[in-house]
Amino acid sequence: MKESIVKIRNMGKAFPTGEGDFWALQNINLDFERGEFSGIVGPSGSGKTTLLNIIGSLDKPSLGDVEVLGQKIQTLNQKKSSILRAKHIGFIFQTYNLLPVYNVYENVEFPLLLLKMDAAKRERMVKDAIEWVGLTDKIKSRPNQLSGGQCQRVAIARAMVKKPDLVLADEPTANLDSENSYKILDTMLKLSEDLGTTFIFSTHDQKVISYLKRIIKLTDGEVSSDDTQTGV
Amino acid sequence: MILRLAFRNIVGNGYRSLINVLILAIVLIIMVWMQAMYHSWTRLALIQQTDWEYGKGLLRSKLYDPYDSYTWEDSAVREPEQLKSAIQGGDLVPILISPASIYPKGRMMPAVLRGIPHDQDVLRLPVSGLKAQGKDIIPVLIGQNMAQSSRLEKGDIFSIRIKDSSGVFNALDAEVSDVIHIPAASADMSSVWLDLEALREVKASESLVTYFVMGDARYADHEYENFRHIPKSEYFADFYKMLATERVQQVITYALLIFLAMIAVFDTQALAVFKRRKEIGTLASLGLTKGKISLLFTLEGIYYLLFAAIAGAILGFPLFWYFAQYGFQIPKGYEDFGIQGFTEPIYFVYPMGEIIGLYLLVLCFTALFSWLPTRKITKLSPVDALRGKVD
Repeated sequence: MKESIVKIRNMGKAFPTGEGDFWALQNINLDFERGEFSGIVGPSGSGKTTLLNIIGSLDKPSLGDVEVLGQKIQTLNQKKSSILRAKHIGFIFQTYNLLPVYNVYENVEFPLLLLKMDAAKRERMVKDAIEWVGLTDKIKSRPNQLSGGQCQRVAIARAMVKKPDLVLADEPTANLDSENSYKILDTMLKLSEDLGTTFIFSTHDQKVISYLKRIIKLTDGEVSSDDTQTGV
Repeated sequence: MILRLAFRNIVGNGYRSLINVLILAIVLIIMVWMQAMYHSWTRLALIQQTDWEYGKGLLRSKLYDPYDSYTWEDSAVREPEQLKSAIQGGDLVPILISPASIYPKGRMMPAVLRGIPHDQDVLRLPVSGLKAQGKDIIPVLIGQNMAQSSRLEKGDIFSIRIKDSSGVFNALDAEVSDVIHIPAASADMSSVWLDLEALREVKASESLVTYFVMGDARYADHEYENFRHIPKSEYFADFYKMLATERVQQVITYALLIFLAMIAVFDTQALAVFKRRKEIGTLASLGLTKGKISLLFTLEGIYYLLFAAIAGAILGFPLFWYFAQYGFQIPKGYEDFGIQGFTEPIYFVYPMGEIIGLYLLVLCFTALFSWLPTRKITKLSPVDALRGKVD
């Protein structure tokens, strides 16, 4: 049996509104194993991104327990959350969120700088990550000199460069055409298999869904189905 | 890492950064100019007064009050015996002051006669020409200011009416041997310089003296009958009071300048925190703590000042060099006010300690005003930041 790196028990998340609390997530019970390539799917407003944010310790649950790599998210202070993210979690966003003043190399290098790694090792890891996503020839380019697909590949390299245990990808193909979407999905799948990284997607893109080995469907903040796909 | 990112953000911010840097640079240039002006003026005034009037110190008759002209007539006392050798050796320059009326070109005006030995070399007054040439007409020296107010010129002969020590009025004729530039206004205005012995003779007051100018500071350490030492702090008290008033004006000007610059910095930083929420969220997702994100924005503000310091040095250099080389010419008419140090161009000397102090002050304000808007970051949730949510 594989190691469970994310455990969610009876978790709920409420947001205050003018008319009382709105429960964006309720009764969530999930486990994610190491190396899993899974996704949370559902329509807009179903709570996908909220769930991803809580797993990524960017937000805290209102109820229940969320344990990521043995650390309880609801009890982590701001500093410990930051350390957890810096060391173990990579994020991939729909809008890439690259640092515009940095070139490809520097964007990918940034997470390693937070880990205070020595320069030689850092350089080797950055170059490897850029090679994984096939952007070695764009190493000096700034984000505004790259296409959307290339930017997303830089974002993947940035998320993967520290070889995190967990990568959270929020609608990573939403701004990409089909060709680029398949390219980056291939890249992520390969990296997941090669490095044993757990990927959790939030998506309603069929292209992404077709790659997922496990599909968790959220409806109105609750898990309505949790299926494993075979022969992906 | 944060330093590098802050630097890149500033450079990447283009014109907005440039405007901030220019505003700060202009403020720094003005502040450095003002500080140098103030410092150089003070320095010049002190040098002039010391060279032309104070020497290495004054021993004043206890009866003499420079602010009360009614005391002048009777304030002269005999030279103390114990100082005779110092006087003869030229270490002490005796000066006798006497109020008088002068009659230049038929007009009458009050004046102060100042008797000084024609062979003294403690003060910069060129008094060698005051030595009597055996004629009945006494040579006198006046400053340009006095020449202007009395309309006397070199070579003019005029009459002086003076009361001697027994209260009898005497009259004598004097010839202006030279009109000189006397930077110390108090040694110029209403003053007529003549040979000490000539004045003593007219006043029938042998060995009377109003004050001594010291050529050697050691005479300050002793008590003398009828004389007291006037320390620099007392002699320059009025000047220092004037400087204190100027200092208040200077502080107000600095405060206004810094305030204006800080508005620019604060505005830019507040806008940056507002506009760059997504970046803040991204940095948080990468594992940067809120404290470090705040530090990043604060450092960006500090970079503005560092760039401004460089820009200020480059842009301000021609100005600074010009005033050091050619001096600041006091506008016409100011020399008549008798303000110390305002009688000749002020050559700028740049007090590096004070300038560095000013830079540090502006740095502190810049850091503070760069940091203030970043307090919002600590209240911002990373999720809201990533969404670019606006409060």
